[in-house]
Amino acid sequence: MQKMNKEEMGEFSNWFKKTFKKCYCEQGNLIDEDGFSELVQLVLDGEADDESRSVFEEKIKTCVKSNFTYEKEKSIQAEIKAKLCAHRSELPKDLAQTIKNSVNL
Amino acid sequence: MSEEQQQEEQQVRKQNYSESEKTDIFDNEFMVHVDSMYNFAYRLTFDEDDAKDLVQDTYLKAFRFINSFERGTNAKAWLFRILKNSFINEFRKKSKQPAKVDYNEVEQYYNSDDAGASITTDLRVETVQDMIGDEISGALNGIPVDFRTVIILSDLEGFTYEEMSKILDIPIGTVRSRLHRARNMLKEKLVSYAKEMGYAKNE
Repeated sequence: MQKMNKEEMGEFSNWFKKTFKKCYCEQGNLIDEDGFSELVQLVLDGEADDESRSVFEEKIKTCVKSNFTYEKEKSIQAEIKAKLCAHRSELPKDLAQTIKNSVNL
Repeated sequence: MSEEQQQEEQQVRKQNYSESEKTDIFDNEFMVHVDSMYNFAYRLTFDEDDAKDLVQDTYLKAFRFINSFERGTNAKAWLFRILKNSFINEFRKKSKQPAKVDYNEVEQYYNSDDAGASITTDLRVETVQDMIGDEISGALNGIPVDFRTVIILSDLEGFTYEEMSKILDIPIGTVRSRLHRARNMLKEKLVSYAKEMGYAKNE
């Protein structure tokens, strides 16, 4: 698997800037919560670049609504992730051995 | 993509491992992921026997094409890609639970500009906290397979967008938007479920 190339990183960064701009009105108030939650997702998934992340962090320090949405998304995502990870199907006992037998190992 | 095409693509950087190297790679780089592979297969098929068959088939292919695997690269992502292709190309056709939904149509709808308003949910943190893993897992199983897959790959298996893009053969921008739609769909399911079960009094 290859690392994200410069072109792809640039595309993501431009998308972030464009979406961020659309999320706020001229007065700087959050007007597009769904768009903003997509930005939150990118930040929480560790996929936003340093510049985008820094713009984002600056905003959530000063905008109560953005901060509330971010914290809520973060908590919900963490809760869902933890519960899904704890709820994994048990590996059938014979499967690993069956696989090894099937390839003669 | 057909098996022949996959083979051709993988032959670009073909290795020439000895028998002992093959055994070593298979045991130490492939088999360590069997638990994750089974979980992924089970969440795709919802059937223990089908999941076992799918995982076994994936490992057989991995062994057959082991010279196409470059040692030290991401074995887990390589195996997940084979499993996903097997599921799409062969397994879905003979699955005991055939697809009832046109997923392209679903995705087109959820990717359209006017879909945003209808998928915004007001899910509360407390509601999710009240739920047990079985309920959240059930909600995940209720969303279309292409959307379920991105949540599994990202949130359960920890793949990056770049890795998911390679596993699923889709552009990275599509990974981002599909994951967002998928998470909204999951939230919608959880809100509906919470209402039914009386968890969400004011939602």
